[in-house]
Amino acid sequence: MRGLYSSSGKWWPGAIPLVILWAVAAWTTMPAVEAELSARSAAALKDTILDKTKITAAGRDITLTAEAFSEEGRRAAVSAVEAVPGLRLVNDRTKLVPEASPYVWSIERDVVRVTLSGSAPLPASRTRLFDGAKAAFAGVEVVDHMALARGAPQRFDAAAMLLIDQMAKLKQGKITLTGTKVALKGMAKDLGGREAIAAALRNLPDGYSVGDNEIEAPPYVFRAYKDPVSGQVTLDGYVPDNAVHAALAGATGRKFFGDKVIDNLKASVGAPKGFVDAAVPALGALSRLSTGTLVLSDREVHLSGDAFYDVAANQIRGGLNKELPQGWTVKIDLSVKPQAAPVDATVCQQLFNGLLAKGTVQFDSASATIDKDSAGLLDRLIETAMRCPNAKIEVAGHTDSDGDNAFNQTLSERRARAVVDYMVRAGLSPERFQSFGYGSKIPVAENDTEAGKAKNRRIDFVVR
Amino acid sequence: MVALADFFWGWLVGSLLLGFAVGWISVVHRGPSLSKNAGLGVGGIAAVLIGLSLARLVPGRAGYWLDLFLAMVAAYLIGCAIGSWLRYWVVARQSQRP
Repeated sequence: MRGLYSSSGKWWPGAIPLVILWAVAAWTTMPAVEAELSARSAAALKDTILDKTKITAAGRDITLTAEAFSEEGRRAAVSAVEAVPGLRLVNDRTKLVPEASPYVWSIERDVVRVTLSGSAPLPASRTRLFDGAKAAFAGVEVVDHMALARGAPQRFDAAAMLLIDQMAKLKQGKITLTGTKVALKGMAKDLGGREAIAAALRNLPDGYSVGDNEIEAPPYVFRAYKDPVSGQVTLDGYVPDNAVHAALAGATGRKFFGDKVIDNLKASVGAPKGFVDAAVPALGALSRLSTGTLVLSDREVHLSGDAFYDVAANQIRGGLNKELPQGWTVKIDLSVKPQAAPVDATVCQQLFNGLLAKGTVQFDSASATIDKDSAGLLDRLIETAMRCPNAKIEVAGHTDSDGDNAFNQTLSERRARAVVDYMVRAGLSPERFQSFGYGSKIPVAENDTEAGKAKNRRIDFVVR
Repeated sequence: MVALADFFWGWLVGSLLLGFAVGWISVVHRGPSLSKNAGLGVGGIAAVLIGLSLARLVPGRAGYWLDLFLAMVAAYLIGCAIGSWLRYWVVARQSQRP
């Protein structure tokens, strides 16, 4: 042992080759050591959720730069790297992902692309939203401008996925989620798109609510054309459902007596409020025109065409405005049909008979109030009366045999009077008219069937 | 460091062999021996280096180089000790035989 000690004083000459050996070893092993430690650290971080992770090795030291989504996650990531075997020190440059307040996320669709922007809480939810958008907008470019941020409201993913699905129903627009408040604007693809979106938004997770909803839908259009040459009324466009369809078809049949109704209506959701209450009087106004077009577009009524005479044009202009439900607007472009050539009394009588064969003047039950459905027929009767200005006209009221004779007599007189008053209001001279009531004394059909009774309830025009 | 031995065990073996050779020669070598003061100085420097390494005060690559240096020096010294000891043993046997 003593010898070992004494010889150890002569070990120093090996120091020079040793230093050379060390320098070469340090130079050659370092890159491999650094690469190995980087790889081990990256493997240790495989199961942690981090953003912008960067691992740099210098010798046996690792510098970890990353953004974590929670303080626990951040500490866990640092500990995982610290536990890597062979590693000497960890330079901890981790921090937390910035917190967004308010937490805003949005999806926007324009002509060419769909853009996701704002904040997403985790890389996984960001990926899920991006993939969800790609699936919902197959064939459209989807751009991801989302940034990761903490502070998302609970069930953010579910809410955002639902909003992505709603965006697919829009042609273009933007949906923004601010905290738990949803704001929408844009144009729906389909007629019922606005309603479909409103219904789907009721499935938003608890705590979420809809703020501004400015979704617009393509206009809800209902059209009717009246063509006197072919004697046709054409209906097309949309109605809310089959019941309304039947009601409008029935009203058209009553108002456009004798005209053929061509019904091209389709049922669709998305009708504006008060659609039926607007469509029925608007059809009534159209029925008073010689030729005309009626367009209901959302809550706007546009009527154009030719009225039979001046007073009718004024009555239509004034009346339709009042009859429409609240919130509806009306635009009326009416001209008056040029008056037809005068005819003599015999032709006038034939014209009256022709008109009354197609339809009769209708009254409310047991009353002398003229049914609005008869306005079109009365306008034509008035136009005819204007063509024979010198003829005296007897207006005769008849009833069926139901009820008391005296009552029927009075009713028939009052009804004939009401018709005469109507004609006088239209500008015809009162001297030309006489009204008579005949009760049920002059039936034109048997009173034992409903059809027969309906024929007997009538107003006749007799030219003297 | 042990976990990384894969990368430099060859160099440690080299140091060990170098030490063995130097140790083997040192027994019969007639050159100057390290003075006591120089020995203390070398020991002091070694203690400081070991202290720095254990305290992990040297950062980054320099830290790795320091650790590697100390490991190689340790291997060298072990080699020297084995070499010297074996040489003594051989010399002692040879001197007994005649």
